[in-house]
Parts: sequence; structure tokens; C-alpha cells
Amino acid sequence: MADIQLSVRDLQKTFHPGLFEASIEVLKGLSFEVARGEIFGFLGPNGAGKTTTIKAINEIIYPDAGEILVCGLPHTSLEAKRRIGFMSESPYIYRHLTGREYLRFSGELLGLDRTGLADRIAQVLDQVGMSGGAERTMGTYSKGMLQRVALAQALLGEPELLILDEPMSGLDPVGRRAVRDIILDQAASGVTVFFSTHIIPDVEMICDRVAIIVDGRVQAIGSVSELVSDEAKTYEATFVGAVPSDLRTPLEASHVASGASWVRVATENRESLIHELGDCGAQVESLDPVRTTLEDLLMRHYEEAGS
Amino acid sequence: MRAVWAIAANTFREAVRDRILYLFIGFAVVMVVSSKLFGMLTVGDETKIIKDIGLAAMQFFSMLIAVMMSMILISREVDSRTVFNILAKPVRRWQFILGKYLGLVSIVAANLVLTTVVLMLTVRVVAGEVDLMLLFAAAMTMLEMLVLAAFATLFAVLTRPILGSLMTLAVFVVGHMSADLWLLTRQLPGALTRAVIAVVYYLLPNLERFNFRTEVVHHLPISGAAVGWAVLYAVAFVVVILSLANLRFRGKDLK
Repeated sequence: MADIQLSVRDLQKTFHPGLFEASIEVLKGLSFEVARGEIFGFLGPNGAGKTTTIKAINEIIYPDAGEILVCGLPHTSLEAKRRIGFMSESPYIYRHLTGREYLRFSGELLGLDRTGLADRIAQVLDQVGMSGGAERTMGTYSKGMLQRVALAQALLGEPELLILDEPMSGLDPVGRRAVRDIILDQAASGVTVFFSTHIIPDVEMICDRVAIIVDGRVQAIGSVSELVSDEAKTYEATFVGAVPSDLRTPLEASHVASGASWVRVATENRESLIHELGDCGAQVESLDPVRTTLEDLLMRHYEEAGS
Repeated sequence: MRAVWAIAANTFREAVRDRILYLFIGFAVVMVVSSKLFGMLTVGDETKIIKDIGLAAMQFFSMLIAVMMSMILISREVDSRTVFNILAKPVRRWQFILGKYLGLVSIVAANLVLTTVVLMLTVRVVAGEVDLMLLFAAAMTMLEMLVLAAFATLFAVLTRPILGSLMTLAVFVVGHMSADLWLLTRQLPGALTRAVIAVVYYLLPNLERFNFRTEVVHHLPISGAAVGWAVLYAVAFVVVILSLANLRFRGKDLK
């Protein structure tokens, strides 16, 4: 893959909560790469290690082992940090600052040129639709407004890599759409977007590629269509009569009502299934392929990791 | 250094917008002004008593502000996770520590400036004199607070807020009893006990080095060497303690 913006290799992290508490191995050799300009979704259930990975990339926690490169630079270098725009999960804000003051503070930390800072702040406030509320202290903001200001500070330094931790979590549909549009705009202008989420429709709608992380490991990685088409096909059949007892293909689910049966079977061979049902004497009324969803895939990896 | 100043300015702004600070400053001003009342009730030179009590009040409330605000401003930054957004930017951890420390010190300095002005005005009204030596005493108190604020910063990154406050308070109390500790090492029988107390004596600052109250109140001569050593002593302690704070914070996982 050419022009890698973010490379994470064999990342490991174990937390040691206390003397008398068991250690928690959160990351178990996590590896993935994000190419320039793509929207990369980091999908996984709560506790999978998504936020820990993002904290490690931003040097908020220190991994026990592994390597993280941002635009080819070690993630701990100031140059690498200058290229990242980061928005944390449920924005942590200063209640005493106004939105504009917060952005000025963020600009100072980024080392942005003082003369152009006011204009840049106005620009990002406009971009996230927060020009109106910028003079209010952030203690009075709604969740959606906080999310927008947090996004504005992430965009302030014109980052090459935008890292967003659960950016749409807790937002209403309008807010989610607004954030989604901003992500798409950024990607269209060449910014690489890496975001974690457990909301599957967000991934399906906007991501170029996705990594499924469960139990501290990447379980699957690729575009949504690649991941889904890699899966074994499943078919749903309805027919008159009871479910044949001598069906060789194992059933995933079945239901009988009013003299008709419905079964779901996992097979890649549609023709052999038709013949098999015919051999069993079933009068097939319909046989439809079932598209495996990303949710199915996530659940399967989750269950496999659990077992 | 721009990031350090930005963090210091934000810390100062946060404190200025917090009502607790005004409570402390209000009490400090009331104490300084009411030293006039103590002067009237006590036998002796009223002006000297005003200066003595006024300077003691300035020191006490500066200490309270250093202890309380360090815990509020540093622990809150970590606990409320606003620190994540700072450290994700091109900012080193030592810059965060130094910025928070300078912000805290500027709050204490602002309180000292205000209470010194109030004390000088009180002395001017009561005795008709302008005693510039009060400025010197305030500067020495500031030196003491630089050391105390460094300890408060260390404890803020080392432990929980309440424990950190108590530990800083303990440094203040023990720091003013250093001479007694030294005497104790000579009088106690057990060698081990003497050794332990000697270690405490050398590890903790002797805050009495910054106490020139008697000299200022009674217009006694002040040794330049003593002042010079006090400055060096404060700088050395601040550098060492802030380095320890940085060392602790540098490798710390923030959850």
C-alpha cells in the first residue's frame, strides 16, 4: 500500500490496576495501516481496545511494545503530532472558556501563527456550524455543540491525519449527519480520517476501509464490500411442509407456521441446496441469498473471541 | 516556550474565573485589614503588630491558595481529561508541568501583590509611614511559595487531590519546624531515629530561611548573604522538585 499515513505494528498494552488486582491485557499485537486520503473506520465493541489504541497514537498512554508511525515519523515526535488533529471520546472541555477562547488556546498549543489565528478560528467555527455560539462559555453548551467545538479544535491546525474517537456517539441524527458531512469534506480535501466507532451504519456509509477489532486484535480488515463478500453465503428458503429431517446441510435457523417452513442455511453452493431440498421432497417456494452484514461479521468475531 | 505560556495563562484564567480563589483572597484581605484591630487590642507598638499579623496572614493565605489551587487546577485537568487534548498536540509533558506550575505561581503572586498593597495602605493610614521593607518581606514569602507550589505540583501528579493537599500542608508545617528537627537529631537517644529525622531534615525544605518578618517589622539589619542563599535555596528546590514531578508524569498512562 503506497503512502501510508498511519502505521501501527504489533501494538501491545497491559494495564496493571493495582497490587491485588489482575492485570488487563488490552492490546495483543495490534497491527494495521491507513493510506493517505482514506476514511478508515476502527470498528469494535466496547472494551475491544479502540480508545486505548487511539490514546497510544496520541501519546496519552505508552504501549508496552510495538511501533507507531505517523506520516513515516515516530508518533512521539513533535512533527508527527503537528500533523495530527485529535478529537477525544465525549469531548473533555474547559467549562470556564468560551468556544473561541478554547480554540485560541488550542492554536497557541499548536504553535499557529498569531496573526492568522483569529481568521483560522473563524474559518473552523464556520466549518462546524458554531459561529453563533462561540462567545458562550462551554459549560453552557449542549452535547452537540461540544462535539462541534471539539471537532473545530481538531481541524484548527489543518491536519494531514484526523483521529476521531467515537465522533458520532451520543449525537442526535442531525448532529451525526453534520459530523459525517465534515468527515466527508475533510476526506475530499485530501485529509486522512481515522475514526473509531461501534455504530455500524456510520462505517457502512462513509468508510473506504474498516478494521474490526475484538479483544485487542484486528480480526478483519478491508473495504466493507470485501469483508462482506469474503463471507460464506447464507440462504433463506421457504417451502410447503415440515422441515426435512434428512437435510445434510446444517440449519442456522428454522421456523414452521401454518404448514409452511422457513429455514436459513449456510452454504456457498446454491444449486446443490436446491437439489438437496428437492431430494428431501420439499416444495420450495423461494430461495433467497442473505447478504451478510457488517454487524453479522462483528458479532461472529466477537463470539469467536469470547469462545 | 509558547505552549508553556499558553498553559500557564489558561491555568491563571481558570483560577480567576473560579469563585474559590475570591473566597481565599477575600479572607486574606480581611485578615490584613483586621490586623489593625489586633493592634488596638494588644499591648505594644500598634504599627509593628499590624505589620507582623499582616505579613503572617499574607503568608498563611498564600499557602492555602498554593495548596488548594494546585490540587484543583492540576488534578482537575487530569481527572476531567482535558489534559488529553493538550498532550495530543505538539506539547511535551514537561511543558505541561511547567505551564501548570507557572500558572499556579502567578495566582499566588497576584494574591501577594494585592494583599501587600492592602497591608501597605493599612500601615500608611494607621502610622502615616510607607514601609518599603514590606515589599521585601512579600518577595521572600513569594520565594517560599515558589518552593511550596513545586511540592504541590509534585503531589498533584503523584497522588489523589486530598492526600496531595495534606502532604503539601505537611511540607509547610514541617518546613517551618526544621530548626526544631535539627535540635531533635542531637537530643534523641536512638541512632536510627536520629538518622531518620536527619533524612527528613535534609529532604524537606527549611522554609524559615525565607522568614524575614522579625527583621522587617523591627527594622533589624538583613544580611545580603542570607537573602542570596535563600534565593539559591528556593531555585534549587524548585528545579529538583519540578524535575521529580516531570519524571513521574513523563511515563504516566492517563486513563
